[in-house]
Order: sequence, then structure tokens, then C-alpha cells
Amino acid sequence: MASSSSSSSQPINVKLLLIGNSSVGKSSLLLRFSDEQWLPEDESSATIGVDFRVHKMDIKGKKVKLSIWDTAGQERFRTITSSYYRGAQGIILVYDVANRESFEALPKWYSELETYVSDSVVKILVGNKVDKEFSRQVPTSEAQKFATRMNSLFIETSAKTAVGVREAFQEVVEKIIDTPELWEGTASKQSTSGGNGGMPGGVQTVGLRDDQGNRKEEGGCAC
Amino acid sequence: MPTEVPYAADAEMSLTYDELEVLRLQYQKELAQDHVTTQTKFNFAWGLVKSPVHEHQVEGVKLLQDIYRHEPLRRRECLYYLALGYYKMGNFEEASKFNSLLMEKEPSNLQAQSLAQLINKSAAREGYIGMALVGGAAAIGTLVLAGLIRRARK
Repeated sequence: MASSSSSSSQPINVKLLLIGNSSVGKSSLLLRFSDEQWLPEDESSATIGVDFRVHKMDIKGKKVKLSIWDTAGQERFRTITSSYYRGAQGIILVYDVANRESFEALPKWYSELETYVSDSVVKILVGNKVDKEFSRQVPTSEAQKFATRMNSLFIETSAKTAVGVREAFQEVVEKIIDTPELWEGTASKQSTSGGNGGMPGGVQTVGLRDDQGNRKEEGGCAC
Repeated sequence: MPTEVPYAADAEMSLTYDELEVLRLQYQKELAQDHVTTQTKFNFAWGLVKSPVHEHQVEGVKLLQDIYRHEPLRRRECLYYLALGYYKMGNFEEASKFNSLLMEKEPSNLQAQSLAQLINKSAAREGYIGMALVGGAAAIGTLVLAGLIRRARK
């Protein structure tokens, strides 16, 4: 597997995952980023299970093929969405700046990360809906501080006005590219299978999430 | 824009054997206790529908139809995964029927839209193959006929 990763024509495969409470705008961020579109609230619908997009971009002179997994935020899909963490190199945690509850839920999302992905995975905290400045409930400084504590990048965005959206994705991918151990050697495997190479550590956690205290093994090169 | 057409990721990706087993065991455990929660049933049905094994898909669809009947609040995801299940079975007509029901309720649902594309594409491909077979048979028929005529003329 490792042999092909050095050729420059081969794109680097990067798997990103969008997580966070429902209605914070995960799908809207993806739609804005990939299609430069936006759906008003009454036309958009809650994601069922998971949605998926492939997006190609050039970062730091490297071709990157992004597979972006947009997970449902609703509690009832939690078991289902947990099966998609496998093989992710970047996690985009989204909350709504005008919804305090979505911010307070973040520790819970971070503890999911602890269970399902390795520490080296790049994380970015995204405060979405800054277009609702008038009803903001989460101060920028507070979120920034929290992100730093959680060892995450931080940005505020609006999928509606496009503010910060491209930058959010760009920053995660740049940091992933700067961390070669996240993608070297796994380059050719990732995208088609979605990281399907059965990882026993991840197994128990699907459906039976209470008995798994310790995190599973690293995703990439140990094998 | 360098974005490819979105597609239903769930259609392409199945669980590992062990992962599906976890969902199955939970379901059977609750079944044995005579109290199956909708959540457990749904999780298992979802895992089955994603499986590449035909019998799994059939079983998954059956469970989803059951949930659809009894849980009005879960209808939208049942419709989506029913469509997906039938799509995976190659039953594009049923797949399209359930997906259309979802699109009726949520016309701008992007997931349903991309699943519709996927179903139509596969149905069309099957149609082409069908036509090619018919066309091929017709062509062979013509050749045989031509041969017979030629022979008759000699």
C-alpha cells in the first residue's frame, strides 16, 4: 500500500467528518462549500443517517481528494453515525453561535471523538450562523478559549452568507497535509472503501457504546 | 466546480461482519425479552439493508416496513432506507416508489434527490442491457433469415 503514495500525480485522499447537534448547519456548510449554494430553513431537511460528497482541491501544491461525511445530528442516528468515524483524518465540530445548547453539547461530541478516533486527527471547532449576530448566545472569545483547550482549530462561519466557510475546510485540510503520518501510506486505500478494513476495536462501539472505556488503536500505519 | 455528483454513501458501504453481529445480537436479546425498542430494530434494519447479502437486504426491508407502519415519527428515514434497500436488491421500481414518497413530503431533500439519480441511472443501464439483448437477438434473427433466403435462392 505504501508504495504509491509518493507519486505526485496521485491525489491524497482525505476523509473529513462533520459532527455536532442537529440544526446547527452541518449540511448547509457542506452545501455552501461544495456547491456554493444555500437552502433556506424551511426548505432544508434533517440529514438521514449520513450524506457524502467528494471534493477535489489543491492545497500547498498537492492534489487532495476530499471525502466529506455529513452526519445526522439527531440523537436517534447516533449509533449509525458512529460507524463513520473510522479512518477520518479531520473532524469538523459544528455549533450554532445563536444556540447556547449546541455549544454546551460540545464536550459530549469531544468524548465521542475520544472513543472513535486517534488523538492525532485534526479537529476544528466551527461556530456557524454568525449572520444571526443579533441573537448570538456564544461569545467568540469563550469559544476560542474552549477550542484551544480542546486542541482544536477555531473559526466562525455563516453558511448563509458564505463567511469563513471555505477557510474552515481549507484550514483543516492544510493541517492534515502538514501532518504526513495522517495520510502517508494510507493514501490509495481510503476513499473507495470509506476505510472499510474491518477494525475490531471499532466494532463493539457500534450499538453497544457503554462498555468501551478505552479508545481503539490508531487508524493508519501501525499495521 | 470540482465537486462530483453526490451519491448515497450508504448504498456503497456495508458494515463489517462483526459490526452487523453487534446490531443483530442486541436485536435478538431484546426479542428474547419480548421488548424490542424501535431504536434497536431500526439500527439492525439499517445494517441489514447496507449489507451486500441479498437475504440481509430482504430481512432489513421487512423490518423497516414494520417500523414504518408502527412509528409515524420514523417514516421519513424508513422511506429513505426502504428505497435504498430495494435499490440494492436491484428492484428499481420499488426503490423509486419509496423514494418518491419521501420526495413528495420533502421536495428539496438533497439526499432523496441524489438517491433518485442513482436509481434512475441504474434503471436506465438495466434498460439498455435489456434493449441490447433484444437488439442482439433481432440482429441474429436477421442474419439467420438472410442466410435462409440466400440458401433458398441458390
